[in-house]
Amino acid sequence: MSAESRAAHISDFEIGTHEGRRWAQIRATFGISAFGVNAWTADEPDQIVINEHSEDDGHEELYFVVSGHAVFTINGDEVDAPAGTFVFVRDPAAKRKSVAKEAGTTVLAVGGTRGKAHEPDDWERDAHVLRHWATKDWDGAIAELSELHAERPDSARILYNLACAESLAGKREDALGHLRQSIQLEGKLAELAANDSDLDAIRDDPEFSAIAGQTDTPSPSS
Amino acid sequence: MSAYEVVHLDELERFPVDEEGLMWRPVRRRLGIKAFGCNAYTAEQAGDRVVEEHLEQGGHEELYFVAAGHATFTLGDEEVDAPAGTFVFAAPGTKRGAHATEPGTTILALGAKPGVPHEISKWEAIFAAFGHLRSGDEAAGRKELDAALAEHPQEWQGWFNAACFEAQTGNREQALAHLRHAIELDPKAKEWAAKDEDFDSLRDDPEFPA
Repeated sequence: MSAESRAAHISDFEIGTHEGRRWAQIRATFGISAFGVNAWTADEPDQIVINEHSEDDGHEELYFVVSGHAVFTINGDEVDAPAGTFVFVRDPAAKRKSVAKEAGTTVLAVGGTRGKAHEPDDWERDAHVLRHWATKDWDGAIAELSELHAERPDSARILYNLACAESLAGKREDALGHLRQSIQLEGKLAELAANDSDLDAIRDDPEFSAIAGQTDTPSPSS
Repeated sequence: MSAYEVVHLDELERFPVDEEGLMWRPVRRRLGIKAFGCNAYTAEQAGDRVVEEHLEQGGHEELYFVAAGHATFTLGDEEVDAPAGTFVFAAPGTKRGAHATEPGTTILALGAKPGVPHEISKWEAIFAAFGHLRSGDEAAGRKELDAALAEHPQEWQGWFNAACFEAQTGNREQALAHLRHAIELDPKAKEWAAKDEDFDSLRDDPEFPA
């Protein structure tokens, strides 16, 4: 796809995500292929703007606080970041997250890999499906994720999200099956599963413990 | 190297770029980003330029973001009203530029070329050199230029710009020597020299390569 020159306001392409944040899919909307770029907005103070993560695909990541006020935590260091702050995380392995200190905090995230041509991230497509969480359209989510799964059967994240949607839709057997497959592909998803309220409906199943392992952290609903 | 760097927009250096008020605020350079280009531009007054009119002949995709204030972009044949919060994407072949319509307008520019590893733009050092010179710090400007020449000794553009710098600062001999070297590396430097007003003061010199 060759991208065409055009303009759009950030509010034109925001969609809700299931954590209550708004996500502006900037790279995908414009069809940019040379670097990754997205923006995240938290409407309430104390809400997560950037989920805790490291850049396993090796990205350098630049964050820019567009509005509001955020607090970043990077490898345990707290970084106060009022509007206008650039936070550049050079080390892909650094654990980073960002929480809003004020309502209406927007953070722009730009990423790419040093010395490598940019490849658009898989997670963007998976994450687009998460708009169904805002409307609780589980059937819609299952249909879309099933299609994505057929295209990329080895993607653990797609399987994991599919399991979440199925759990929320009350499809216990499907959910357990897909959760098992996702954790087989990517072991650390077990940690996520241990605390993910999307999976509460299947958490009491003996099979769940067998798949996700026993953890010390109780689920939010238990 | 530390795992991360933090800087506020207000702490970024300001390099005057042209006579139209364009002020370059290096972001990539300051933070040591290697994977993509990133710079900020600020216009202090309404009416000042905030994005140079240009094409990306090197094939960069560019994304502009109006971080503060209000700008008017030209994007190809179109005029685009761009209040704070607007993204403007420009494909390499689209002519683009912007003026501020409010004082204190700041635009972020992000860029890279699709399909290849990112290479740091060589113009950054040149912008810095001339920015220092316009701000009255000739020594700092020369230091930037020397570093750029040492890093890319085979690029005629570096020597050409060094010649401009020396011409502007009245170092006739050095200017002519750099210009000759640029032309040795690439004869098209001669065509550029013919129309560059930086060399007006040297054109009557018998040594001027015309």
